[in-house]
Amino acid sequence: MVINPTYLAVRTRSSRSFDDARKRVITSYREWLRAAPEVQSMYSLNMPVSAIRTKIRQEFERHRYVSQLKTVDVLLFNSHQEYQETLNFWKQLTHVLKYFRMEEDPKAKLPKTFIQGFLEGRN
Amino acid sequence: MGPTYQAAANTLRTAARPTLSLRAPFIARVQAARCISEEAPRKVSPDDPPSGEGGRMSPQNLTRTEEGASGGQPKHQPDYNVAADYRTSNFSPVPTRVMDGSEPGLDTPAAVLSGAPMDLQARTVRIYRPAKTPTQSGTWHGHHWRMDWDVLSKGHRWENPLMGWQSSADFMQGTHLNFNNKEDAINFATKQGYEYFVQEPNERKMLPKAYATQFVYQAKKLKEVRTK
Repeated sequence: MVINPTYLAVRTRSSRSFDDARKRVITSYREWLRAAPEVQSMYSLNMPVSAIRTKIRQEFERHRYVSQLKTVDVLLFNSHQEYQETLNFWKQLTHVLKYFRMEEDPKAKLPKTFIQGFLEGRN
Repeated sequence: MGPTYQAAANTLRTAARPTLSLRAPFIARVQAARCISEEAPRKVSPDDPPSGEGGRMSPQNLTRTEEGASGGQPKHQPDYNVAADYRTSNFSPVPTRVMDGSEPGLDTPAAVLSGAPMDLQARTVRIYRPAKTPTQSGTWHGHHWRMDWDVLSKGHRWENPLMGWQSSADFMQGTHLNFNNKEDAINFATKQGYEYFVQEPNERKMLPKAYATQFVYQAKKLKEVRTK
């Protein structure tokens, strides 16, 4: 009996080198960018597609300076996992909106300066 | 890719790396920027391959030729420019640094991979050996090493307005991690990107005592037997 993999499933593999990893990262990034309008319509998000793309870029930039290949592999796996879960509609609005918490919730940001943190009464 | 593009990319790079642009004195920043631009495999644009040696934490970036009186000391200023994650809240402390996977010599950058909140990298962790219960003679609980999270100054406890229950925003309160030895605890803390300090235990001093020391000959008039 043939077992059909789910839509967007990808066989696990390790990157052979940093060049290979770089190509995979850029491919993953392009897939995400192309999927941004789809995500907006699927989850009925009240933000422009550019905001979603900025968030995608932000999440990728968070790990720009990773120096180990194995870490990059795990991050690529996580990125594709999120991609599959989002586009297969396995997520719910909560799960997608958690990435936008800092934009939606004014209390969820770190202070910009010492004085602002002091006046907020931060830890 | 003329000289103006190079200069602009250099400025962008130094500006985008808060470890260089905010904390170092001006002369060190200039020196470090010059060191960066002189090496060959540096990312100038997003099209360049990633620098495999370690990004902005590689030894070349960290050498500073001019250091003031506090050179080499850890910088305790909070870094307000870190990328906050979705669990940052009103009570989150501001970290001094956040692990980004570019640290040299680290086996597993678990802080990057574990998905733990960034707040945990802002909080200090105490590694210590819990003392033996003074009311009993047994030392059964006093051999392992424990990791405790320092209490948040705001949000660690307040009274629930409806029922008067004790509420807390500190998700690590009451969490202990136990380890077999100090090195394990320290490795875990560095791997997870925690700021830690180790509190050395007060070891119990046991003197070997014998009943016969009371009868040992001493030339002086008053016999002195030390039992402590």
